[in-house]
Amino acid sequence: MRFPKPRRVTLYILLVFFAFLFLLPLWTCITTSFKPVHDVIYTTPVELPLSPTAEPLITALNIMQRPLLNSFTFTISAMILSCLLGSINGYILTKIRFRGSDTVFLFFSIGIFIPYQAVLVPLVLTMSKLGLFNHIEGLILTHTAYGIPITTLLFRNFYGVIPNSLIMAAKTDGAGTWTIYRRIVLPLSLLPFVVAAVFQFTSIWNDFLFGVALARGSEAQPASVALANLRGTTEFQWNVQMAGTLWYALPVLVIFFVLGKYLMRGYMAGAVKG
Amino acid sequence: MAGNQLPGRKMRLPSRTMLTKDRIVTLILFLPSLVLVGYFVYVTIGWNVVVSLSDWKGLTPSYNIVGFDQYTRLFQDPTFFTALKNNLVLILLFVPGSLFLGLFLAILLDLKVRGEGVFRGIYLLPFALSFVVTAVLWAWMYNPSIGVINTLLMKTGLGFLKSGWITDPNVGLYCVVLAIIWQFSGYTMLIFLAGIRSIPESQMMAAEVDGASGFDLYRLVVIPQLKAPALSAFVVLMVFALKAFDFIFVLTDYSDYTYILPLMMFRETFSMNRFSYGAAIATILFLLALVIVVPYLYLSFRREKE
Amino acid sequence: MVSVAIINLTKTYGTTAAIKDLNLEIKDGEFFIFLGPSGCGKTTTLLCIAGLLKPDKGEVWLGNELVTSSERDVYVTPQKREVAMMFQDYAIYPHMTVFNNIAFPLEVRGEDKSEIVKRVTATANLLGLSQLLDRKPRQLSGGQRQRVALGRAIVRKPKVFLLDEPLANLDAKLRVKTRTDLKKLQRELGVTTVYVTHDQVEAMTMADRIMVQRDGVTEQIGTPEELYNHPANLFVAGFIGSPEMNFTDCTLIKEGARLWLDAREFKTPVPTQVAPKLESYVGEDLIMGIRPEDLYERKSVKGSTQKNALRMTVDIIEPVGPYLLLHLRKGRCSLVARVKHTTARVGQEVDIEMDPSKMHIFDKKTAKAII
Repeated sequence: MRFPKPRRVTLYILLVFFAFLFLLPLWTCITTSFKPVHDVIYTTPVELPLSPTAEPLITALNIMQRPLLNSFTFTISAMILSCLLGSINGYILTKIRFRGSDTVFLFFSIGIFIPYQAVLVPLVLTMSKLGLFNHIEGLILTHTAYGIPITTLLFRNFYGVIPNSLIMAAKTDGAGTWTIYRRIVLPLSLLPFVVAAVFQFTSIWNDFLFGVALARGSEAQPASVALANLRGTTEFQWNVQMAGTLWYALPVLVIFFVLGKYLMRGYMAGAVKG
Repeated sequence: MAGNQLPGRKMRLPSRTMLTKDRIVTLILFLPSLVLVGYFVYVTIGWNVVVSLSDWKGLTPSYNIVGFDQYTRLFQDPTFFTALKNNLVLILLFVPGSLFLGLFLAILLDLKVRGEGVFRGIYLLPFALSFVVTAVLWAWMYNPSIGVINTLLMKTGLGFLKSGWITDPNVGLYCVVLAIIWQFSGYTMLIFLAGIRSIPESQMMAAEVDGASGFDLYRLVVIPQLKAPALSAFVVLMVFALKAFDFIFVLTDYSDYTYILPLMMFRETFSMNRFSYGAAIATILFLLALVIVVPYLYLSFRREKE
Repeated sequence: MVSVAIINLTKTYGTTAAIKDLNLEIKDGEFFIFLGPSGCGKTTTLLCIAGLLKPDKGEVWLGNELVTSSERDVYVTPQKREVAMMFQDYAIYPHMTVFNNIAFPLEVRGEDKSEIVKRVTATANLLGLSQLLDRKPRQLSGGQRQRVALGRAIVRKPKVFLLDEPLANLDAKLRVKTRTDLKKLQRELGVTTVYVTHDQVEAMTMADRIMVQRDGVTEQIGTPEELYNHPANLFVAGFIGSPEMNFTDCTLIKEGARLWLDAREFKTPVPTQVAPKLESYVGEDLIMGIRPEDLYERKSVKGSTQKNALRMTVDIIEPVGPYLLLHLRKGRCSLVARVKHTTARVGQEVDIEMDPSKMHIFDKKTAKAII
């Protein structure tokens, strides 16, 4: 539908205005990350640095290095595990089915929406009992478990589209449950795996609550918690804070720019974050 | 040919209906997820309820069941009502705010815009970021002395609008709402845009032939058909507004004017070590979320069945 | 190659019965077709034979092996049934090449590599797929995909072929050719074949025997000739044959010693050889059926109607290749006659005569055929 000319101009003005608002915080984050303290005080945040320096980035990286590595470790492990389990569940819930499989799915779905505060106390107790409190393994286990509901939903949506005749054909061809998964369903799952992996990577990487409850102030501390601490310890070093933010946001930004298309599919599948 | 007796036929190796090899394989494959979700979602929620009924205080667990004491105390605690009130204000401003801004952006992008993909990417970008990132970024935006907003106001001659923003008890909560609308409206835009695009173009053409044009087209034809995406976005936003924690925790710590239930839960539990009290708050949060989510899940299940 | 027996088979979805108490024996090597409108339970029956669906009641035998019995708690999984099934959408594995698709059932069964190559090559030669073995399904035409699915079914020499509407997704021309090819192939392989279709032409041209199903109930089982010449009831009579059989409501009356069918617009005598069967229906409402090709146009003599002939107005003349279809009307009675040629024009009247020995008479209450 086309509007007359003056209206189109207004339309683009609005679009650009909103784009400016949405990008402003990120833009000032980037400019400030490259500013020495002097520039932070004597230039406006939107301006480019007068004398650009990598100093804040290096300082921030020194502080954030270990937490970033932690985050990579548990994010990637939990991402892989929750995707694999989600894929298997999606297969079982759509292609094998059994009495009550819809109910099981409903119970899984509730897991997507629960406020994690409601499990926090027992979770901390469980991890202490298992000796996984303040350990990366504890974060892997936690993120895997709470990732299963959403990955199950994603894979179930995708597998619903695979025709049942394909599965029936494989059965009469002699393939059992596992062979059908391995030889038919899994090879057809590239797209859902990319969508679920991208989705899981960003939401696990972005998590703060589990990190702060399970690994605060320890060697296993995730980058999100480290960044929050950085904010406390570098109260007036805005450039270092922004540089730390940039480091922490970088993997997600890269995913967003390279694989954004798949991330959007994840968001649209009724997915939630938080 | 009636009856079960057919001459010359024998049964060969009848396999029993139960416990075939495939069923065992299925069970083994399904078991890890069942155990993990069963334990980490359902057992822990039940356990949390048990803790909330006990008098556990301090670092050693105690399961001395005292009934609803914690809940009674909670309903006499003025900070609980402060938190509840702030939570409500947050929901009432944030949910409609994100829905309207998202819908507005979706309609703008639907008007055959050049570079639609770029704009869509820009609007959605904040949603991909961690709340911790958002918090740090907006702390910088709101900083009263050299923060982005005040500096820009000064430079544009609007200095009289300068404010303490997030540090000002009068506007702090609204600053929080603004920042999370910034983060979530890209998501609602995405959901609405998908909804708009699923309406067949022939319908729009028919409406144009019938004489509707411009924003009337959206008001009369498109928006009434966006109930389903609006509902799912609504549920997501509601649940988030209920459990929002990371952002406020990092941005304002435990300030009174932004104190909401999840913060209270975390503080009572992990700073004050009043575990049973924290568990009671958590249980209330869970029940509130259930009230929003269960009807929604029930509805979408019924729709799927049809 | 085995026979297939189905005993008291019942399957219900929710409250609607897809199959009600089905009994059936398919002979060794037979080409057997389930025919009926969509949703009549044909595919459900097929899935029960394959073991892809468990019936609520009843038994399925493959040869002398009991493979399904809810009463005796027997259920052989589809993997172990040695049946091959071909689906309407072909269900070709989209990520595998033609070779791998055909080889899949052999690989899963753990056949030798060399044996697999040998048999896949032989199958591909038989079906004219040799040039396409490295292609992926999306690079194939509809007809080629159909043959890949067929190849996958025959490569492992199953005891029974189950084919679910295998020609439905082909265009009209290819469908006719494939019909012949498929029938020839079945003759050569001699494998018992159960074939589901809603297309009566397909069923009539290919089957040794046909079962007509409606709403989960068997209407009739018989050879194509039997179904065509001696339909057991109104449904079969109407379903088989194109153009459809003509039906007219009438009453059986007795005048002196003769029985007459009185259809208000016309009266026709009941042939004496079938009269005894009708004796008890005097005064009852019946339905008379006559196929369009059993109606003849008689050269009319001006002014008077011929004896036993019916004078009707021509509404429409439809040329269909070698024949003409005359749509005729008189009062509330309308008929279609298939004739080789006519001199009549639309709007004119013609005298129509029927072959009384080709007449079908049904009881209006039960819809069953009397003769």
